[in-house]
Amino acid sequence: MKFALKILKDFPAYLWSGWGAIASIFLFIAVWDMGNQIYGDLVLPSPIETFKTLSLMLQDKDVLTEINITLYRASLGFAFSLVIGSALGLLAGFFITASMMSRPIVTILVGMPPIAWIVLAMIWFGMGDETVIFTVIVASFPIMFVGALQGTRTLDGDLKDMAKSFKLPWHMKFFDVYFPHIFSYLFPAWVSGLGMAWKIVIMAELLATSDGIGASLAVARSQLDTPTALSIVVIMIVSLMFIEYIILEPIKREVELWRD
Amino acid sequence: MQEDKLRATNHYLYYPDEKNVPAYLAYGFRAIFLVFVPYILISMLLWGFVYSGLISMPFIGDILTWHVYEMLYGLVTAGTLAFLATGLPELFPGLVPLIGKRLKYVVILWLLGRISFWFMDYLGIYIVAFFNLAMLAWIIWFARFAVLDKLQRHASLGYTALFLFIVEVWYFASQAGYASTESMDILKVALGLIVILVLLALRRVNMEAINELMEDKGIDDIFLSRPPKTNLAIFSLIVFTIVEFLYPQNSALGWLGFAVAAAILGITSEYKLKDEFILNQPYVLYLGSIYVLFSLGYFMMALDLLNPDINGIKHFRHFITSGGIGLSYIVVMLIISWVHTGRKLTSNIYTHIMVMLIIVATFMRALIPFFEDYSSELYLYSSIIWSIPFFMYIKLFFGFLLNARKDGIKG
Repeated sequence: MKFALKILKDFPAYLWSGWGAIASIFLFIAVWDMGNQIYGDLVLPSPIETFKTLSLMLQDKDVLTEINITLYRASLGFAFSLVIGSALGLLAGFFITASMMSRPIVTILVGMPPIAWIVLAMIWFGMGDETVIFTVIVASFPIMFVGALQGTRTLDGDLKDMAKSFKLPWHMKFFDVYFPHIFSYLFPAWVSGLGMAWKIVIMAELLATSDGIGASLAVARSQLDTPTALSIVVIMIVSLMFIEYIILEPIKREVELWRD
Repeated sequence: MQEDKLRATNHYLYYPDEKNVPAYLAYGFRAIFLVFVPYILISMLLWGFVYSGLISMPFIGDILTWHVYEMLYGLVTAGTLAFLATGLPELFPGLVPLIGKRLKYVVILWLLGRISFWFMDYLGIYIVAFFNLAMLAWIIWFARFAVLDKLQRHASLGYTALFLFIVEVWYFASQAGYASTESMDILKVALGLIVILVLLALRRVNMEAINELMEDKGIDDIFLSRPPKTNLAIFSLIVFTIVEFLYPQNSALGWLGFAVAAAILGITSEYKLKDEFILNQPYVLYLGSIYVLFSLGYFMMALDLLNPDINGIKHFRHFITSGGIGLSYIVVMLIISWVHTGRKLTSNIYTHIMVMLIIVATFMRALIPFFEDYSSELYLYSSIIWSIPFFMYIKLFFGFLLNARKDGIKG
């Protein structure tokens, strides 16, 4: 509770510190606008036109339904891989044999291109939710796993000994000694996993389903509707930025305060 | 006793050994403010006469361009001179302060620039150009320590002044027919440079004033204005200024305007200190308002560029000129006049009113496009309201400038 209140208290200042990031985004949009002036509307619609299309799209109930479908798939896949990946990674980190065994398997999972997973999943599960969710899980699971594994493996031995000699109860050992260190590895892994999940869900939908914003992107492509395609891209980026910078980053800052 | 000493008393290592220096020439800012503030008021009056037709100025083919020139270069040279004359000996403790006869001659040079401007009809453009360029050239010469400093900590100030000089030469060349560029376009470049100069100066003023204030009030924290945020704002401003010069109506300029607005507003996040809350300190709010006004100016200009239904870019620019630059003059004058005359940095109802009036006048002037029916009243009242703080400054602070430091230290 105290922790949540602290996050809320620091939130306005954190939000205000984002003006520099907003400036960089506007500089990027200016470059985009110049790209539009050079290559024309068909290749790269202007930012204004894209934002107008986006505003129209967001008033359309069908589009909102598509966004919800995608959000559902991405969050489910992400939540699964977060729980399984973190738990298995932590376990593997505590046992050297398990970490030795799991390393090559993770390399295989990381090395396998997501597109190959999509093809396999389409064969295994057909065209639907399962294919997309499965692809999201296999693509983001290794990231979480490696994060948790690294966090546990790099724990300071002296700290462990100290906790032991003070005979700390298990919950204090975990939350006050191990957790802050492990979390500093785990959290960035969650953030990267989230980014991966969000990208993969769109790709999987584009290839394997007839609904969700990935599928809408496929329709926009077939109709050469670049403003809609770009608007969908904007939706994806804005939602990812919202989750990462508005929800996750403030938590990360508070959790990692001990580093200062 | 030593501990009670104001931080700003450490503002020089050597004080020139000149005899019988009157108080008004005892430190750079004194003489400059004593002529600068009355000049602002007189020139507002004179421009009022020019625009109402009471004074005819045939030399001015384009009154607006020369008006902008004088409000930018005429005033900024004095502002920069006051800032550098006060700040440089502090930033470079080996530098001997500008006082006495030398100071008198420099102020006379600035005055000659102003007088020649108003008598351009009789003197011709070359004499006006000579006095004005000489003034800025002298400032650059004075600021050479900043540029030649091995660590280059404050070199940006010197380089910006140098660019301002080059742009001023370009402006006079354009007016004299040696350059084909539109004079007004050159002045827009100059405005970009002036905003950069103000941002650079503000970073230093912020640090001095806020730390002084915190020390005074026993607030146990330190305010550090680090370069990255200001640099991002300056980078965005440079890109905006270049694109505005080359493609004034381009839609990309609108997005760049938003970038500048956001980057300048971003500097205000420095006021969030690690432990202490200082946003309730009047001087923090005064200084922060300068950034907000600049930011608002670029935001409104960007909105205008991207929205064909809004048409008032030249009015919105007043958020930057009358607003940001005007307020920075007032706030810096307040800070210097308190601290460098041996007093504690004080805020009171008068300082609040001075700052508020500049802000109110700026809004009245800049938002004219939305109240076209009242435009003539808004032109008139906004300039009157904008002038009041300078009247108040004369009433409240000229006594400080004309008398020796309160703490008995030289300067």
